[in-house]
Amino acid sequence: TTMDVAAEDSDQMPSGFHAKAAAKAARLRREAAKLASASALESPGGIESRPGEWAPTQSKLLRRVAVAARPGHFELSLQYGPYSVAYDTTGRLLALCGRGGHVAAFEWRQKRLMFESQVNEPCHALTWVGAGSTPQLAVAHSNWTYIYDAQGLELHCLKRLHKANKLFWLPRHWLLAACTDTGHLHWQDVSTGQTVASYCGHHGPLRVSALHPDSGCVLTGQPNGQLCIWTPLEKRPVVKMLCCPAGVRAVATAPAGHAVYTLGGDSRLRVWDIRCLRPLSVSDSGADAASIRLFDAAPQLAVSQRGLLACPVRQGAALMVLPAGGAKPLLSHPSPGRLSDLAFCPWEDVLAFGHARGLGSVLVPGSGEPNPDGAVHPLSGKRQRREAEVRGLLDKLPPETIAPPAVGGGVNAVDAEGIEEALARKRAAVMALPSDEVRQFQPRRRSGKASGELNRKVGERWQRRRMELRQLLKSKKRVLAEMGDEGADAAGGRKTKKAKKVSQSGELTKPATGTFLDRLIPKAD
Amino acid sequence: MKVKLLLRNPQDYLRETADDIHKLARNPAPELHPMSAETEYVRALNAAKLERVFAKPFLGCFGDQGDQLSRVCMHPRALSLCLSGCVDGRVAFWNIPRRSRVLQLDAHSGCVQGLCWHPEQDLFYSCCDTDRTLKAWRVGDDLTEFSRPVSQRHLDFAPLNLDHHVSKDLFALSGDAVYLYDSRRSDPVGQWKWGSDSVLQARFNPTEWHLLAAVTKDNALLLIDTRQREPLRRIRCEFRQNALCWNPQEPFVLATASDDYNLYSWDARRLASPACVYRGHTNAAMDVDFAPTGRELVSASYDCTVRLWESGRSQSRDVYHTKRMYRVFAARYSLDARFIVTASADFNLRLWKARASEKLGALTPRERAAVNTAEALKQKYAHHPQVRRIVQHRHLPKRLYQAQLEMKAIRGKQRRKEVNRREHRGEDKEPFVPERDRHVRGVDE
Repeated sequence: TTMDVAAEDSDQMPSGFHAKAAAKAARLRREAAKLASASALESPGGIESRPGEWAPTQSKLLRRVAVAARPGHFELSLQYGPYSVAYDTTGRLLALCGRGGHVAAFEWRQKRLMFESQVNEPCHALTWVGAGSTPQLAVAHSNWTYIYDAQGLELHCLKRLHKANKLFWLPRHWLLAACTDTGHLHWQDVSTGQTVASYCGHHGPLRVSALHPDSGCVLTGQPNGQLCIWTPLEKRPVVKMLCCPAGVRAVATAPAGHAVYTLGGDSRLRVWDIRCLRPLSVSDSGADAASIRLFDAAPQLAVSQRGLLACPVRQGAALMVLPAGGAKPLLSHPSPGRLSDLAFCPWEDVLAFGHARGLGSVLVPGSGEPNPDGAVHPLSGKRQRREAEVRGLLDKLPPETIAPPAVGGGVNAVDAEGIEEALARKRAAVMALPSDEVRQFQPRRRSGKASGELNRKVGERWQRRRMELRQLLKSKKRVLAEMGDEGADAAGGRKTKKAKKVSQSGELTKPATGTFLDRLIPKAD
Repeated sequence: MKVKLLLRNPQDYLRETADDIHKLARNPAPELHPMSAETEYVRALNAAKLERVFAKPFLGCFGDQGDQLSRVCMHPRALSLCLSGCVDGRVAFWNIPRRSRVLQLDAHSGCVQGLCWHPEQDLFYSCCDTDRTLKAWRVGDDLTEFSRPVSQRHLDFAPLNLDHHVSKDLFALSGDAVYLYDSRRSDPVGQWKWGSDSVLQARFNPTEWHLLAAVTKDNALLLIDTRQREPLRRIRCEFRQNALCWNPQEPFVLATASDDYNLYSWDARRLASPACVYRGHTNAAMDVDFAPTGRELVSASYDCTVRLWESGRSQSRDVYHTKRMYRVFAARYSLDARFIVTASADFNLRLWKARASEKLGALTPRERAAVNTAEALKQKYAHHPQVRRIVQHRHLPKRLYQAQLEMKAIRGKQRRKEVNRREHRGEDKEPFVPERDRHVRGVDE
C-alpha cells in the first residue's frame, strides 16, 4: 500500500529522462528485494485468521506458538508511577523509568537484571545511547538528563538538556537529541561530548515529538495542527506542514522508511509520506480513507519495523495493534493500569508497554523484521558488537547530513543552484549593458586645499571603472557575436565585422605564423 | 487460525567451533541501509585522511658517498642491486634492501659520465669524459673487489653518456655525436649528428630495436634509426632537455626532462607537439624515469624535490623532499615499481617508496581488501571538494612553497596579459595556443 511515487506515475514524469531513471530505480529495487528474499534466513511472522474470527488473545497465541516464544509475554507489577520503556537497537535490552524515580534495565529474554535504582526524582523519558557493546542509558529526570552505564552508575549529568520530555538516539550520527518542555531542542554528540546544536525553537513547549530515523530529523506536532521538521543546523523548522484540523496529539515514525503517523485532536490517524509531504492511504480496501478514526485513543503511538501500529484505546485501559495500512485491529490486550508508553522490540515479534502500575510485554506476530543486517540483532555476540561499535564510530556521519528528504540535497546531489547561479552571472554579464550615461560620466572636480590629490584619485578611480565597463561591453559583444555566428550559419545571413574582414583578405594572404616572417605577408587593400 | 511467530534459532547465528569465524547476518534491502551515500562519503573521507596519516615515503639513506653522485643505474635482472657513479670517478655497488655498499671501484680519474649494465651477463660499463675511456667490469657471484676492468677502450671523443641495447651486443655513446659501438669491434658501427652541439644522452628503445632517441645541448631531441645514415627527426624545443627515457611498455612514447621546469612526454609518431606537459617543478628537471609498468614517471629536479607523476596527467601525484636533500640529479624506479632511488648533490643516495602510504610486507587478504576498498572509495569521491583537498594537499617547506607561489604568479601574469592582448587586438592577431603547442619551435626531417 505504500505509494511509490517514482515508479507508478510514469505519465506524470516531466520527461523521458525522468521516466527512464524512475524505471531503472524500480528495477534495482526489485532486484534488491529478490536478492534479499533469496538470501533470507527467516520469514516474517503473521496471523492468518478465518473471516469472522476474533482477534486472538495472548493465551490463544501462546497455545499456538513454540515454548521458546514465552519469554516475550510477561507482566511486571511495579509501584513507582507510570512507566516509560525503551528497547536498545539490538532488541536485547529493555529499560524502564517511572515517574516515581524507578530506573531499571534488564535483558528481557533471560530476565537478567542489569541494574535497578531509585533516583528519587520523576523520570519522564529514556533512551539507550551508544552501541550494543557498551550500552548506556540516558534518562530525562525532571530537571536534567543523566546517563547511566550498564551497571547503573551515573556517568554524566547533562545540564543543557533541561526539562527534556523526549529523548532520541541517532545511531549513525552518534547524537542524542532531546525535545524539552521549554521549547528547546538539543543535539549532543555522545562520542566526543560536543553539543552540536542547542536552541529554542520558539514554537511553544515541544510535547509531541518523534524522530525520523532514516534522515535523523526531529518531527514535532504543534497545537495548531502543524507538523514541524527540525534539523540541528537550522534554528527554525525546516518544514512546516499542516496535517490536522485540530492540534496534533501524537506523532510516530516507522523505524525505517518514509511513513509518518499523526494523531490529531479530531481522533483521526493520518499517514504521511515525509519525502513529498503528502498523505499515504491508510486502508487496504482502497476506500477513500485518508484517515482512520481511533476512538478514545490516548496520545501514544508506536510503529514496528514491518509497519504495524500500536495505540492505546479505551482511555489507556487496553492497547490495540493495527496491521500495516489497515483499520481492522490485529490484536488487542488489556492493560492493568493506564497506558503511558508503547515500544516495539526491534527484530522480534514483541511489544512492550508501560502503564501506571508497571509494565508488560506481549507477542505480536509479524511486527519484527526477520532478517537483520550486520551485528545489530539480538543474537549477535560480544565481539561482533564491539567491532560494530568501532566501525560505527569510524563511519560517524557529520550533522550536516541530517536533512529532511523533502528538502533534497545529500552528498551525491547535483549542485543545481550553483550551476544556476553561474549561468545567471554569465547572463547578467552579457545582458546588463552599462548605459552610455554611465560610461561617459565625468566626476565633479573639487576645489579647495587638498583638492589636487583628491581630484587625481577620483579621476583614476573613474578611469579604472571606464576600463571595466569597456571590458564588460566587449565581453557582451563577444558572446553576442558567438551567438550571432551560430545564428548566421543557420540562417546564412548577417556576419560580424571581424568575419567580414577575414573573408575580404581571403586567397592572397597566408595565415599569420606569429614570427618575424609575418611582415612579408602582403597586406590586404 | 494460523499463527507464525518470528523465532530465531541461536545455532543459526553462532559459529560452530572456536576456530570458525563469526557469522555475519546480511540483508541487502535498502530499507535497512539508509544514508548509504553519506556513509560511503564519510568512508572515502576517512580513507583519504588515513592515506595521509600513513604517507611516510622516505625509507633511508644509503650512506655518505663522499662526493657528488652523477649517475644511478639499476640492475636489469636483480631487484636488490644498483650502481652509482661519482664525480671523482668511483663506482659503488649497493644492496638496496640493506642500504649498504657492497663494493667500490676506483673506476676513472674524472667524473663517471655513463654507467650501464649488460642485459644478460654480469658485466657493467662505465665511461668518463676526462680520460675518454670506456671500461667494462665483471662482478662475480661473491661480489669480490676487482681493481682492473675486464676491458678498456680509448675513445677519441669525450663521452657524456652511455646506454646498452636491450638484447644485442651494442651500446650507444653520446659525445659530440651519437656513436653506436659493437662490443666485438673497435671502431664505431654508426655515427649520427645534427648540428654542431654535443649530445647529452642517447637511449635505445626497448621494443623497437633499431630506434634511438637522443637529446642535444642545443635544445633538440633527435630520433635516430640505426639502419639509416641520417637521423629521422629533430625536434627543436625552447629549452634544453636534460634527460630522456623511453616508456618500457609503450614503444612509441618517450619522456624528457627539461630546463624549463617541465617534463614532456612525446609520441614518436607525432612529434609536432608533446603528448603531455608535466608542470610542477620550480627549477630545472634533471632526470626522468618511467616505472616498469609504463604508467608512472619519476623526475629529479634542481629544486631539491622528487616528483611522481601518472602518465598523461600534468599534475604531479606526489612530491618528496627532505631537509638534507639538496639538488637531485638522478632518480630511478626499482624493477618492481615499488621503490625509487635518488642521487643528490649532498653526496647521498636515498631510498623512497613509490606509493607513500603503502604498507611494506605481506598483506593479509583482509588488509588487501581494505586497501582496495579505500582506493575505490577515493576514486569514486575524487571530485568531491573535501576529499579532493585532502588527497591533493602536500606539505612543502617554506622556500619550496614560496617558489611555487612565485611560479603561479608568473604564469598567472602571463595568462592575464595574453587575455588582455586578445581582448584589445582580437582573436586573429593573438590566437589562442594550447599549452602543448607552446613548447616546440619546430620539427625538422
